[in-house]
Amino acid sequence: MGAIMIYCPNSPPGKTIMKTPVTNVQPRNRRELIAALQRVLPSQALLSETEDLRPYECDGLSAYCELPMLVALPDTVEQVRAVLVACHERGVPVVARGAGTGLSGGALPCSNGVLLSLAKFNRILEIDAANRTARVQPGVRNLAISQAVAHLGLYYAPDPSSQIACSIGGNVAENAGGVHCLKYGLTVHNIQMLSFLTIEGELITVGGAALDAPGYDLLAFMTGSEGLLGVIVEITVKLLPQPERAQVVLAAFDDVEKAGAAVAAIIGAGIVPAGLEMMDNLAIRAAEQFVHAGYPVDAEAILLCELDGVNEEVSEQILQVREIFQQCGATESHTARDERERALFWAGRKAAFPAVGRLAPDYYCMDGTIPRKHLARVLRRIGEMSAEAGLAVANVFHAGDGNLHPLILYDANKPGDLERTERLGAKILELCVAVGGTITGEHGVGVEKINQMCIQFSASALAQFHALKHAFDPRGLLNPGKAVPTLQRCAEYGAMHVHGGKVLFPDLERF
Amino acid sequence: MTDTNDSADQLREQVRVAAHSGVPLQISGGGSKSFYGRATVGTPLSTIAHRGIVTYDPGELVITARAGTPLTQIEAALAEKNQMLAFEPPYLGESATLGGAIATGLSGPRRPYVGAARDFVLGVKLINGQAEILSFGGQVMKNVAGYDVARLMVGALGTLGVLLEISLKVLPRPATELTLVQHRTPNEAIEVMNIWARRPLPLSACCYDGDGLYVRLCGADSAVRAAHDKIGGEILTNAQNFWHALREQFHAFFDGPLPLWRVAVPPARPSLRIPGKWLIDWGGAQRWLKSDTDAATICRTAAEGGGHATLFRGGDRGGYIFHPLAPGLLALHQRIKNAMDPQHIFNPGKMYPNL
Amino acid sequence: MQTTLSDSLRSTPLGQEADSILRACVHCGFCAATCPTYGLLGDELDSPRGRIYLIKQMLEGATAGQNTQLHLDRCLACRACETTCPSGVRYGRLLDIGRAAIEQRVRRPLPEQIKRHLLRVVIPYERRFTVVLRVAQTLRAFLPPTWRRSIPPPQLPTSWPRSSHERKMLALAGCVQTPIAPNIDAATARVLDCLGISLVRASGGGCCGALSYHLGAQEDGLEFARRNIDAWWPHVESGAEAIAINASGCGVMVKEYGHLLREDPSYAERADRISAMAMDISEVLAKENRAALAPAGIGTARIAFHSPCSLQHGQKLAGLVESILESAGFELTPVPDGHLCCGSAGSYSLLQPELSRQLLLQRVLALESGQPTAIGTANIGCLAHLQSRTSVPVRHWIELLDPGASVVSLRDEGAQVELTEPTTL
Ligand SMILES: Cc1cc2nc3c(=O)[nH]c(=O)nc-3n(C[C@H](O)[C@H](O)[C@H](O)COP(=O)(O)OP(=O)(O)OC[C@H]3O[C@@H](n4cnc5c(N)ncnc54)[C@H](O)[C@@H]3O)c2cc1C
Ligand code: SF4
Ligand code: SF4
Repeated sequence: MGAIMIYCPNSPPGKTIMKTPVTNVQPRNRRELIAALQRVLPSQALLSETEDLRPYECDGLSAYCELPMLVALPDTVEQVRAVLVACHERGVPVVARGAGTGLSGGALPCSNGVLLSLAKFNRILEIDAANRTARVQPGVRNLAISQAVAHLGLYYAPDPSSQIACSIGGNVAENAGGVHCLKYGLTVHNIQMLSFLTIEGELITVGGAALDAPGYDLLAFMTGSEGLLGVIVEITVKLLPQPERAQVVLAAFDDVEKAGAAVAAIIGAGIVPAGLEMMDNLAIRAAEQFVHAGYPVDAEAILLCELDGVNEEVSEQILQVREIFQQCGATESHTARDERERALFWAGRKAAFPAVGRLAPDYYCMDGTIPRKHLARVLRRIGEMSAEAGLAVANVFHAGDGNLHPLILYDANKPGDLERTERLGAKILELCVAVGGTITGEHGVGVEKINQMCIQFSASALAQFHALKHAFDPRGLLNPGKAVPTLQRCAEYGAMHVHGGKVLFPDLERF
Repeated sequence: MTDTNDSADQLREQVRVAAHSGVPLQISGGGSKSFYGRATVGTPLSTIAHRGIVTYDPGELVITARAGTPLTQIEAALAEKNQMLAFEPPYLGESATLGGAIATGLSGPRRPYVGAARDFVLGVKLINGQAEILSFGGQVMKNVAGYDVARLMVGALGTLGVLLEISLKVLPRPATELTLVQHRTPNEAIEVMNIWARRPLPLSACCYDGDGLYVRLCGADSAVRAAHDKIGGEILTNAQNFWHALREQFHAFFDGPLPLWRVAVPPARPSLRIPGKWLIDWGGAQRWLKSDTDAATICRTAAEGGGHATLFRGGDRGGYIFHPLAPGLLALHQRIKNAMDPQHIFNPGKMYPNL
Repeated sequence: MQTTLSDSLRSTPLGQEADSILRACVHCGFCAATCPTYGLLGDELDSPRGRIYLIKQMLEGATAGQNTQLHLDRCLACRACETTCPSGVRYGRLLDIGRAAIEQRVRRPLPEQIKRHLLRVVIPYERRFTVVLRVAQTLRAFLPPTWRRSIPPPQLPTSWPRSSHERKMLALAGCVQTPIAPNIDAATARVLDCLGISLVRASGGGCCGALSYHLGAQEDGLEFARRNIDAWWPHVESGAEAIAINASGCGVMVKEYGHLLREDPSYAERADRISAMAMDISEVLAKENRAALAPAGIGTARIAFHSPCSLQHGQKLAGLVESILESAGFELTPVPDGHLCCGSAGSYSLLQPELSRQLLLQRVLALESGQPTAIGTANIGCLAHLQSRTSVPVRHWIELLDPGASVVSLRDEGAQVELTEPTTL
């Protein structure tokens, strides 16, 4: 069956999402599926009326939406298994959903499939203080883990800005990062064991209670697989001792490029900060309105540099960092006065995306990663492209890892705005690839960046991905249409992309 | 440049022929770790000619090198810029190459505190079983585009593809390192190591060799001194030699003809009851055992302790080597193998029979 | 988020307001994390973001029926989501609009209508409510324990100060607080008296209107508002400084009079003025020199403070009472998840008893976890609700500062609270 166009009712006219449906479910089959699922789920755990389905039609990327055929809300692993088996038997696609905070449309439902919510799996099953691990259900919120182990002097290191809400299952599925990942790594570096169900309902455990496990590193392979390989039902995370001291230095710059240069200088000096984040003027103002952190609202850019570790070392590094900021032309730099102010500095950063919702009705968040040395250059180019497109761009990002988050501000109610936004977004991502980076550092490909996958990967690499997917899910029922584009799709995208044989960014060195 | 393109093409050609004929290949780099894993047969395929550092940008903390590059060359280049491979790959022979280090996925004493080989791999270029040259991952710190095939290759013992190039994250060398020794009983040592690991101490290695508990601290001078005050112990003078000997298995513990087992368990697990000589590394998480106890007993005891055992060196290289996989997991391994190497030409049987 | 409200709706002020609120939501989902009902049920439809979506689709003209009504009914209107929302979404307002809209669309089953009607015609009227309460209190001893617990034992009124000061503030007459706990107003008056302020009861006032307004009878609610404005106005003109409100649920409502009556030409201006003058009693105290308030016989009193949603989320006064109590020398015990609602939420405990009960049990556990001698709160609804499940005395915090009371006696009283079921989940 070829690709079909599905009209998305809640997005602007003309906005379409292309999907390759696995099967076409007839109303009779739908009724039969409902009956089958009702047998295995508690009442109220199966939603089938349009009214109830609509709020599930999108995740954190609300520009893309699609009404699921059904929503299942199981609360035991056995129920999840039964749902998967029932769907597998009938060739019905399944899309797993955690907290629905994803920014790439990873949990976008399938119109002919079941949306499987894991939100009810919100229990912490075991905390092993001696071995510094916690065994949790996938729907547990990221922040809830750190809160539950705080009394032991431990914490879970990856802290996506959405940590208050996002689920650990979603974090594993996206290999989420956060402001502290510069030093402590991404989700993949901080988990030890996973149990997942295959689409056929088989429970598989990868990783283990030791630091490594026999066989292939499927723990890493599952991480970041965007719900295409299995439904994660249990996770053992690693816990770290809370640092003896953490301090943050805030530096303001009158020029974004100077701030970019300061980032490179810090890393170049052999310092590995716990976090190194940048916000530009638009983002500073939005965040300041929400948290009143005392950010300098006139600055063109601020850097937040967190240093943590043993007290003495932190003191030394603060001096070093402030010195570097000064050399790089910071207009001011100071440390947080106390723990409360430090928390505020970070609260502003963590709330920055939605806070941008105060500046414009909608924003579109990009997630490209580039080698740090190109920061200043890429930021300048993004500024130019933003001016050309007539769309404001706010930048809030993980500068230390070169992970950019340009937020394109637009108004979804204005006809044509989203299309222009998407075009600008695509250009930004392609710029990231052109300087040797990647289209997504932590938010995943989802549906959103699926076209850009064609630019980043060769056809044979994509074919290899499909072969690997087949090893887990031969019928392609888990989260179809996401993360890895079909070659046919790439051909179509390429056709519309290389106009008259011209490549994008001809002035850039190719990698 | 042309040389290396040639060498990649030659490797690819060899793979193409093998895929065509179905005659398996035995992949090797410097041969330093060829003892590891199960014995295999096949036409030798050596990556040794495919060598050299492709890019090294200290400011980016990233190095990209070809699989055949000797580890010594890489570490020398890094040392010049005061950087290091933080997972301290064991060479286990002077000829060790980067490809071998990644394919075996072994890590040295620093592993529990900074991460394993797999944690530092950012991207790879490889030849798959259909003789295609493919790139996965990249040269940036964060990259979640596509499945993580790069990390899948780490520790896969060459059974999924031929590594051509690897990009690694590197770290600045710590300003100071200091090793302290305390005398403890085995269970005391395990307990103390884990108490330390729960506290914010600048640990970079922790091992117990049956007599001394060795703990290495790293970081700024002041930080190391402060930590020394907190945990106490005598300063070890020839510390670098000690850790080197441990990593390279020159330590006297490793002497003797008995098979060498590697037992990985949750770090706080008290001593396992398997007769033999023990050395505890990785803060309790990796335990070396010299013993001729039968494989079944060792395997069972390790599993009961929440971990797994590997016959690292010696013993019967055609028998039990790695802990058996649960049936569903094994079947999945086989399907993954088929997806990467449909003709089963890469190191067949090196990890498990039929893989 | 994108919205497609019909043109006719968008041309009304209410439609515009709803649209602007919906447009501010960026669908990030942060709010779900602190929503009590989402925490219990794990269904997007019982989260703020889901409810916003339900309201959005209803206003956009999609079918909205009993399911939408159910999920809007389950909302506590606690507004924890507003505190969490970085994007400044005024969820509480949107909920009012949404509830009014669904009320028009979906007829409730008859028993449900009767129940809601009864609530509306009894609770907001002090005299009617008193009659019902007294009957219940008389029967109390004969009722099964589960029922008995939810009926507060009778409390004797205490005396108001006689002195009259230059400085005057106005009290809200209110509805249920006086019959249940007459001491709160009296204690407030005595505390203000110590500070040289007279608290004045204006005749003619009554319920703040919140109960009716949030039960879908918005016009009734506004009528209560008008009545209070009329009662207060002469005193305002003769120089009363503020409306000092000691029930945070009512405070939130009075502070909104200005907004709610903005379309009513004969009240808009006065309502605005009244809202500007409305202060929670904690705001009043925070501004005064409290040296004259020697805390009454506290000794080593350890207080767990339950901050009502209407105080911390509605009026955004998180932390204020705590700091007043601390500066008065009380020791505050830690309360895990202090942002969560106790399940009282106006008439919620009567309309959604099961969810309300679960929230209550969670809250009581959290409040008791620090082994306090007393629990302080700032709203009569929470007070009565919490007391129904704990043997620790629950008091309005102003009573703790009352020169005429002592915490020791509080503890004695608390011991009388009958508890036959263990307070575990
Ligand atoms: C304001 C804001 C800030 C953000 N900041 C960051 C940030 O700093 N860093 C970052 O990395 N991300 C960030 N994100 C993105 C998002 O929060 C993360 O991607 C997060 O990991 C998603 O988790 P979730 O539970 O919401 O998953 P969902 O959005 O529900 O799902 C995401 C993907 O995971 C899959 N999935 C979910 N649960 C399972 C499961 N149990 N088994 C299998 N597959 C599953 C889904 O199918 C989907 O493909 C941000 C998002 C927002 C809205
Ligand atoms: S008001 Fe309270 S119950 Fe209602 S959606 Fe907001 S947080 Fe949830
Ligand atoms: S936190 Fe605010 S912006 Fe985010 S979903 Fe909730 S209401 Fe919308």
